[in-house]
Amino acid sequence: MLKGILESCILKVINNKETYGYEISQQLQKYGFSDISEGTIYPLLLRLEKNNLITAEYRESTLGPKRKYFSITPSGEKELEVFTNNWQELNHAVNQLFHI
Amino acid sequence: MMKTKTKTLNQENNELDKRLTTENDVVMTDMICYLRVANISEYNQEVVRQDLLQMVLSAQERGEDMKTLIGEDYKSFCDEVIAALPQKSRKERVLDLIDIFLLSTSILGAIHIVISKEMIDLIHNAVTGQQLNFQVPISLGNLLSYAIILATAFLIVHVIGRNSLKPEKKHNQSKPKKFIIGGAIGGGVMAVFLIIAWVGRQTLFTVNIFAACIFILGLYIAHKLLQKFILT
Repeated sequence: MLKGILESCILKVINNKETYGYEISQQLQKYGFSDISEGTIYPLLLRLEKNNLITAEYRESTLGPKRKYFSITPSGEKELEVFTNNWQELNHAVNQLFHI
Repeated sequence: MMKTKTKTLNQENNELDKRLTTENDVVMTDMICYLRVANISEYNQEVVRQDLLQMVLSAQERGEDMKTLIGEDYKSFCDEVIAALPQKSRKERVLDLIDIFLLSTSILGAIHIVISKEMIDLIHNAVTGQQLNFQVPISLGNLLSYAIILATAFLIVHVIGRNSLKPEKKHNQSKPKKFIIGGAIGGGVMAVFLIIAWVGRQTLFTVNIFAACIFILGLYIAHKLLQKFILT
């Protein structure tokens, strides 16, 4: 379940703007996800790509090795909408249960 | 062609490999060995290799090590990567095996003909002007050796690949135990060679040397065509 949530968070970061692995991990850390390295999210990015939710493209970087840029697909946008609705329901239910 | 793409990617990755530090190179080699024996296409192996190389090279520039980038459990990381990739279908696996059979048979067949006694005799007789014999005998020993070489090569590749990311075991085996294991392996190898020498002399059939060369060339061409047009 946590992996699914992390996958959707990665999808959201990519939806905000076209980006690359290291930047995604930095963004997630900025939002409070601790211990998220580029290596942690790499298998999830592969899975998102395999499921046609994102596309990837290598581009030259002025600062060193090439970077793989990810962008969201129309299926990815739909998936993000589904997750947002599911999360709102889940969030509401958990808050009710724990009296948060 | 997919195979050409794979080859190009492989060459690019070999160049990127040279930029790794010695420490990172050791870990990368182990991870790639592990991925090589996984049930994923050669193309996807190279794609992952490229991604990992770019990730590691970027981390190198930031002054980060592999543990910061991937964590300490490289095996779990690789297992997650493998699980996230499309697995090879049964058809792809069968085609891979056929390709290995075509290439290995053509190479071993060519070696057999080149170093055979009949070839040496043929050259000698051609030089000295004696009668030429173009027949090459194929014995049971030849076929057994072929099967054993293939099985051993397959086993070695898989054992090395599968164990490349296992934590190193402490070598705490006692000397007598090591002696027994070493003796058993040595004895086993000797026994195999003796069996081949004993039962393998019997000639099963003979083939014309030119027909054998055409057959071997045909196998090699079939391997090349498979690589170029079908395999990914």
